Amino acid sequence: MVIRNTIRRLRFDEDEMTQQELADKVGVTRQTINAIEAGKYSPSLEVAFRIAAAFGVPLEQVFQYDDAQSKTDRPRKV
Amino acid sequence: MSADMTNQHTPMSFREKSAWISLVLLLVLGGIYFWNFALILARRPAFSDVELFFGVVAALVIAEVVLHMAIAIRSPEEARTPKDEREWLIDLKATRVAFFVLLVSAFASIGTVHLPLRDPHDHTFVMMHGVLFSIVAAEIVKFGTQIALYRRDA
Repeated sequence: MVIRNTIRRLRFDEDEMTQQELADKVGVTRQTINAIEAGKYSPSLEVAFRIAAAFGVPLEQVFQYDDAQSKTDRPRKV
Repeated sequence: MSADMTNQHTPMSFREKSAWISLVLLLVLGGIYFWNFALILARRPAFSDVELFFGVVAALVIAEVVLHMAIAIRSPEEARTPKDEREWLIDLKATRVAFFVLLVSAFASIGTVHLPLRDPHDHTFVMMHGVLFSIVAAEIVKFGTQIALYRRDA
């Protein structure tokens, strides 16, 4: 996965926010937060911004694009 | 970090349970219906096709409603939550796969006119059931794909 995220760390820093609490703030299901956190699903730009807003941090603090890995990874089929 | 925070495994979601219910019901009731269809062709039917058709449809509707009510009672919050973007994407991917199955199977149903049946009047009956089978098979593939995609992301 070429997009890494720090959601787990941010949840920990936010007084151990649960996935369900974050899901409620963002407006998605807990399973979707779990999939994003595990790097199994890349959210839309809108959801990515909402996650960043839920933590009160800029988008790039939550999601980082791994350029080096993107050159070795084959694009995932949709 | 606490165990809850590091835990990557999530219990089955409401939508996945719903897909399992629909898949199992279609497999069981579709299996009964098409088994009887094979017996009709062999002139040894266990039930009349019309009676069984309406019986299976009624059983499917009742079982879907009752079982979905049961899982909704167990997780009311989840049941009320509308689908999010990931769930819509899973739905769309599964529908795309199912459409391909429907297309191929429906075309194959047209080909049944060339089957050497004892009674030529059976061709309409067989083709109708071919189309019905295509719909059921496509739905089974749709729910199966949904479950596989939910499991892959879980």
